[in-house]
Amino acid sequence: MQERYAYYPGCLASLSQKELDSSTRAISAKLEIELIDMPSVTCCGAGDIHEAKPDYYLHLSARILAQAERTGAEVLLTICNVCCLNLRQANKKLQSDPAELARVNDNLMQVDIPTYSGGVEVRHLLWEVSAGDGFERFRSVAVRSLEGLRVAPFYGCQILRPAKLLGFEDPDRPESLERLITACGAEPIDYPAKVKCCGFPIVLAREDVALGELVQPLQEATDAGADVMVTPCPLCHLSLDAWQQKAANLAGRPFQMPILHLAQLLGAAAGVEADTLRFRRHVTRLSEDVKDKLRLYDPVARV
Amino acid sequence: MATIDNEHLTTLKGAYDVQLMEVSLRVQRFGGEEDSRRRYETYTVEVPTTATLLDCLDAVKDKHDGSLAYRKSCRMAVCGSCGMRLDGGAVLACKVPMRPYVDAGHVVTVAPMGNLPVVKDLVVDMQPFWHKVRAVKPWLDTSDEAPPQTEWRVAPEQQEAISKESLCIMCGCCVSECNSMEADPDFLGPAALAKAYRFVGDVRDLDTRDRLRDLNGAHGIWDCTRCYFCNQRCPKGVDPRDAIAKLGAETFREGLHDGIQTLMTDEGARHAKVFIESTYKGGYLRETELVPKTIGPLGALKEIPFALQLARAGKVPNPLMPHKAKDNAEVKRLWKLLEQQTPRHQERALRPEDVTTAKGV
Repeated sequence: MQERYAYYPGCLASLSQKELDSSTRAISAKLEIELIDMPSVTCCGAGDIHEAKPDYYLHLSARILAQAERTGAEVLLTICNVCCLNLRQANKKLQSDPAELARVNDNLMQVDIPTYSGGVEVRHLLWEVSAGDGFERFRSVAVRSLEGLRVAPFYGCQILRPAKLLGFEDPDRPESLERLITACGAEPIDYPAKVKCCGFPIVLAREDVALGELVQPLQEATDAGADVMVTPCPLCHLSLDAWQQKAANLAGRPFQMPILHLAQLLGAAAGVEADTLRFRRHVTRLSEDVKDKLRLYDPVARV
Repeated sequence: MATIDNEHLTTLKGAYDVQLMEVSLRVQRFGGEEDSRRRYETYTVEVPTTATLLDCLDAVKDKHDGSLAYRKSCRMAVCGSCGMRLDGGAVLACKVPMRPYVDAGHVVTVAPMGNLPVVKDLVVDMQPFWHKVRAVKPWLDTSDEAPPQTEWRVAPEQQEAISKESLCIMCGCCVSECNSMEADPDFLGPAALAKAYRFVGDVRDLDTRDRLRDLNGAHGIWDCTRCYFCNQRCPKGVDPRDAIAKLGAETFREGLHDGIQTLMTDEGARHAKVFIESTYKGGYLRETELVPKTIGPLGALKEIPFALQLARAGKVPNPLMPHKAKDNAEVKRLWKLLEQQTPRHQERALRPEDVTTAKGV
């Protein structure tokens, strides 16, 4: 784990998922890591732009990486699976192909944008806190045991696959979220769809197909007796949380599954106040039972 | 030296000292349409330490149960016959060494590929797969022009553009875990779409616009949910998801020129267009513009109750005061520069007569 990170919240945590941003800042303070803001960054060009205008995506990503480099930090910290894959993919291309880096930098220079020398790594919050000294540091700040809370991990796609661009853990048998859930004192719930897709990228263009995908994890986590689900991706969060009732209509059965951002779960275990974790910004509300198990209103344990 | 009494392995005999190991496999059995019961049988076989999953299945069939059904042919990851699931993920059985599983003390589970009907045991019906591959017209279309007298001139970099897609051996591993196909069985899917790009990206093909129009409809490229299972599973490095993205990029290139918008009618393409416009205007995605511009004003009207639900949770940013990144003028300049650089039409292969003209002969 680094002491300082170039912090890249991405579109969703800056807009509709602001609770993810506030929770990330709070857990970072507990972990005593510095997040350096980059006010001029844009969307990373993920997904749709990457698909429709690949060269524009590459340049948008290069501009972000260049700004991260200028903060002096060695690692850009992302809290979104989609940003993670897309920024890593662009970074790999720029770092491994000098001719391509030169072409992109030449274009950036032509329009007075600072260039990129290839010196930044892109890493997700999940990776930083689930292994090595970051994990030890989290364990030392997880002062509130969430005992009795049954948590279904939902990884999302673009933090696992393709492994050749991500490669943090076995994409078919990941265990980083389980490790963190256990470190929070909670109980991880296993179910096959935890590595599958939430359908979000096509939820507007192909809602029926997307909901068909979304039903599966909600159904399996519910049947396995989970109290909540946790995800490292704000897109998965939005899909599982906001589209949950539409998925219930399709499945013909009710779902009442609160969805936590990873930073919210870690924050609850580290004693971050409920006002900062902002669960009221979720469409699927927490039940009183879950609030109790998350120990949201307990005074912080003194250690 | 250990003795080999397993007949199919006799080719290895004498080549070198063969070390043997015991492998246990849990294999899904299913008798076909007459048999409603899928069940698992566990077999233990003795095979050389170099054995693949396919070698183990051969040993099971030879020594334990001759009725076990699976496909195989080349045994060297070229023919694409032996696709099946190992512990839930599609692999070519002939490409997976079993030694690491034995060393880890893990008993693997072997099952047929997903997203295709099971005929018997590990054999799936590939008809739906072939039907989709045929649907993308997997051959060169040069029908508008008479064939050249001698060969086309294709530059190495032009061939390079479709080299990955040309590696496909049509084993079906990418289709097995396709999440969109699970939800929409009619989705063309990663194998057929990678094949489609192999021809859309071929500089000799003359049917690019019609191909793209077909691929932009229902069950086409915008059905892909970017789960990346196909890239993860492909045993040949085709990266079908990347091929689907290239079809999206070709749609934008071919779809926007000459003011013709016919290729851009799909909701998926419109969704992508809003993304691009958002970054141009303010740097970030404009979520409030996504819905009406993707599904149209009438569709958006139907979604008002849903939008109110989101608004109550604070999830709808104020459309009148969109979030704007600092220094976004940089991004506008960048976009304009890149647009000037983008070729409006796909390059074409040179016909021999073009080459002659170009040389001024």
